[in-house]
Amino acid sequence: MRKWNSTGGKIFDCLNYVILILFAVCTVLPFIYIIAGSFATDAELRSRAFFIIPKTISMDAYEYIFSNGSLVRSLGVSVYVTIIGTLVNMFFTMTMAYPLSRRDLRGRNKILGLVIFSMLFGGGMIPTYMVVKGLGLLDTYWALMIPGAISAFNLIIVKNFFQELPKELEDAARIDGCNELGVLWRIYLPLSKPILATFSLFYAVGHWNDFTAALLYINSPEKWPLQVILRQVVALSQNVVAAGDRLDPNFVEPPAQTVKMATIAVGTVPILLVYPFLQKYFTKGVLLGSVKS
Amino acid sequence: MKLMKRALPVVVSSLLVAGITAGCSNNEAASTKSKKGGESDSNKPLDITIMMPSFDQELADENSTVVKKLEEETNTDIHLRWTPNDTYPDKFSITLASGDLPDIMVSASSYVKAAQSGEFWDVGKYIDDYPNLKKLNPIIRQNASINGTLYGIPRIRALGRNGIMIRKDWLDKLGLQEPKTTDDLYKILVAFKNDDPDGNGKDDTYGMTVSQFSGPWDNIQTWFGVPNEWGVEKGKLKPYFEFPEYQEALDYFKKLFDEGLINKDFAAMPPSKWYDDIQNNKAGVIVDVVDSAHRIEKELDKLEFGENSTAEQQEQKTFMTALGGVADPDGKKHYLPTSGFSNLLLIPKPAVKTEAELKRVLKFIDQTNNQENQRLLFHGIEGKQYTLDGNGYVVATTDKTVLKDLQDLNQFQTFIPEDLTIKPQQTPLREKEAEIQKENEKYVVGNPAAGLISETYSRMGAQLDQIIDDARIKYISGQIDKAGLKAAIEQWKSQGGDQVTKEMNQLYSKTKK
Amino acid sequence: MKDASSSLEAMSEPALIVKPNKRSALFQSLKRDKWLYLLVAPGLLYFLLFKYLPMWGVLIAFQDYQPFLGFWHSEWVGLDNFKFFFQSPDFLRLFKNTLILSFLNLVLVFPLPIIVALMLNELKNALVKRGIQTLIYVPHFISMVVVTSMTYVFFTTSGGYINEIVKNVTGHTIPFLTDPQWFRPLIIIQTVWQTTGWSTIIILAALTGVNAELYEAAMMDGAGRWRQLWHITLPAIRSTIVILLILKLGHFLDNGFEHIYLMSNSLNRSVADVFDTYVYYIGLTSGQFSFATAVGLFKSIISIILVLGANKLAKKFGEEGLY
Repeated sequence: MRKWNSTGGKIFDCLNYVILILFAVCTVLPFIYIIAGSFATDAELRSRAFFIIPKTISMDAYEYIFSNGSLVRSLGVSVYVTIIGTLVNMFFTMTMAYPLSRRDLRGRNKILGLVIFSMLFGGGMIPTYMVVKGLGLLDTYWALMIPGAISAFNLIIVKNFFQELPKELEDAARIDGCNELGVLWRIYLPLSKPILATFSLFYAVGHWNDFTAALLYINSPEKWPLQVILRQVVALSQNVVAAGDRLDPNFVEPPAQTVKMATIAVGTVPILLVYPFLQKYFTKGVLLGSVKS
Repeated sequence: MKLMKRALPVVVSSLLVAGITAGCSNNEAASTKSKKGGESDSNKPLDITIMMPSFDQELADENSTVVKKLEEETNTDIHLRWTPNDTYPDKFSITLASGDLPDIMVSASSYVKAAQSGEFWDVGKYIDDYPNLKKLNPIIRQNASINGTLYGIPRIRALGRNGIMIRKDWLDKLGLQEPKTTDDLYKILVAFKNDDPDGNGKDDTYGMTVSQFSGPWDNIQTWFGVPNEWGVEKGKLKPYFEFPEYQEALDYFKKLFDEGLINKDFAAMPPSKWYDDIQNNKAGVIVDVVDSAHRIEKELDKLEFGENSTAEQQEQKTFMTALGGVADPDGKKHYLPTSGFSNLLLIPKPAVKTEAELKRVLKFIDQTNNQENQRLLFHGIEGKQYTLDGNGYVVATTDKTVLKDLQDLNQFQTFIPEDLTIKPQQTPLREKEAEIQKENEKYVVGNPAAGLISETYSRMGAQLDQIIDDARIKYISGQIDKAGLKAAIEQWKSQGGDQVTKEMNQLYSKTKK
Repeated sequence: MKDASSSLEAMSEPALIVKPNKRSALFQSLKRDKWLYLLVAPGLLYFLLFKYLPMWGVLIAFQDYQPFLGFWHSEWVGLDNFKFFFQSPDFLRLFKNTLILSFLNLVLVFPLPIIVALMLNELKNALVKRGIQTLIYVPHFISMVVVTSMTYVFFTTSGGYINEIVKNVTGHTIPFLTDPQWFRPLIIIQTVWQTTGWSTIIILAALTGVNAELYEAAMMDGAGRWRQLWHITLPAIRSTIVILLILKLGHFLDNGFEHIYLMSNSLNRSVADVFDTYVYYIGLTSGQFSFATAVGLFKSIISIILVLGANKLAKKFGEEGLY
């Protein structure tokens, strides 16, 4: 690692630590408050503007959420859609980004133009729905994965990363008899671990947080992902909002405010746990080692 | 490359499917619908598809015992198309666009244009033939119509739901009576702020809590005699804010704000925080739907007696009282009604093709309003979803697998002529709420232009309303003065308001004839 | 949907344009790069199916589109929707508000993840570095509704923490939430809080591509920290930054409807109204798909001019650009 021993360097390092730690505290405190709030009572949430440890610990909000029979199943749906969906995303994105990173490919600019144009002009909700319907994807998990199989934004950035990889390796592989698939598989992908990790994370978080696609395309409640269920849990607990439309003879009022916070905790913590596993790939360069070997 | 092997066939086959099915969407509806029985086989069960919003995830399906029972009662074969309430407006548009229409669909706000173009049956012509439907409350009927035409059966809700809720114990402590007029209310608010109603020796209370939500202002100004949306002067419609009572009400609001009787930062307060202060011993008054009273009571009970206090403990003290509203300074009562309905059951013409079919569908809707069926759809089957206790109150089962058969079926209930379901056991406060809702119907101010929709308003209405609503808040907070208020009204007029008034008056004179 | 399938044909042409005299050359390159074309095919198919097949939807900007009439039977109204938009008495104010917010976003929000990533890159303690990274990306998962509601709790003049501090220092409160002057700063602060950590990830990924040998060589040459940053680190991630910037311009006029909507109120609306909220209010009353599409189209055209312009500029400075 690089070391800086001058006074200026030390001051900089100190400042750097202080600023970053302050920033980290600012970003995480509200989240801690949400977690703490999810274990508190509604009364405490109303009376204290901010706290990290609740005075009375209450599990009511979690009991209410987990009493929902669909929650565990929907968690399974979300995990499934996130994993398979991310694989689909990565497959489509990588296979398309690689040829497009080759400057000598005929028609490359036209395809890229097509991709960029599609970022700026969209047909809107109804036409897209018609396509999904026409393909027979309605009410299948594919409807949650295929219509967003490639993010043009991610594709272009991956393409750009591929372009930056040293060409010597590729040539060496070709001399060894690899075809294009081999070059992608043996050279590009292993060298792009940070990129694979980054975009897997982007796609995975996208799938995890998505509820609009499910609301539009999935009719069977047993196929709804977690986020849809959590939204409904919140909506149901806020009786004031739904009062005009929902007439539930058996309505038992849940702690509305803490339920809101607990749904955030339930919806966020599983995907947050993914990050540390992927993180090692962003922080370490892989290029050096592989170039040498 | 295993993935590729698996994904390619999917992509290729999807492409083929696209070629075949794209463009056929309009034919599908036609082919599925031909099986519908006409008059000739009227003994056969009526095949009926219903699209409606859902709130839960475990929903009644076609195997539900409750649905089966209703099918027997009404001689129908019911198919349910649930759509999460969250996305209902989108799905409504998509369903119209796809052409694959159900026989009955709950409306979304965008239905007006489609209705005016003849997409749905004009049921107003027919409902007088049905024993229940013909008793539809005329005010609600007018509210639910578009320019005099009723395009669906409204789902009835309480008309007089609005009211005012006050801390009873604070009133008692300060020796005050429930307010009768707006002046009384003002005095109470002053006392709640200055006279330490919670007796803790600290200056930590204020009068009334308000938020970004405009409801309280709309309610209170109606108490002052401001018309509901439109007023009639010399046989002509005039917007409510051009009546002198409006200025009177606004000055009252401003006084409340200036004297700190309402929360200063209300204009920024998200509606989700609105109830915090009254449930937290900080504010003593709130104006909203009157059935909130028992919710506030429950929170205050918890605050006073602890989270797990028993019903006996909670009955020791009553915190809240509710009123339908207060009278204007002259002692007259005018309250703001709600629309009295929540969306319509529409009957699309592409699905229900002939008058004979329509009549059978209407008969079905009428039958759902029989007392027996209302209870079936609302409570389920006795002995399964609910039992009756010694006093005849409903006790619902807690068994979720049994409740599933009932879940959200009340979404196609219209409650015409009235709600005939059995009430659960009530606290005195809840009984009072129900009384107030009934009593309020005597004092509600109808909107003379209800059900009239002007072309300009349907295009710019939200924008125009906002000019006036914003000006009201700015005036209360002191950001503008009377001249600024006037300027805002001029702006409203020039940006389309005058046009709206003109169009509304044309429509109004037409329906009057 | 017939138009959609024909547009599919039309769109697939440019990718494989064939001119008779170049036929053999094309064949040659097809043969040479057959694997590459095979690889690009699924993605291309995706774009044609899910992006171009529905693109007829853009045309409803020129219609009075009614879902039940469908595309074929809805009335064509020419430029009426655009006229309604441009002639709206609020247009100039909306445009100004939109531009100012977009500009602030570009200037203040966009560079921050780069700076934070570079700062993180200078941290020596790997544990601290990872810890900070994990913490700063958490806000991405908190919905805007919750963010704005917490903002109220912190900034309200009725007992909000920030205002309590302000009161103790200055003796009076500041109406952060209702004063139009404070609207934009609050929006920017919230955006920075919510997006910076998340956007840092992509820069960090780019930083892993920096060849460590270069640093070693620079150290031996006695290059200091700033020179290394300037001559090694920044050039290595420059092309990523340029791409991100160009792509960001593609959404230049998107202010985030939900965010603005939740933060605006009667007292600050003079600066809070932007295109996105305007479309919402106009569409609200009657489900005006056509009007929303027309405004979207207007924004898209501005975006495409910005993207192409920026791309050209980037190329002038020797960057690769988007393509």
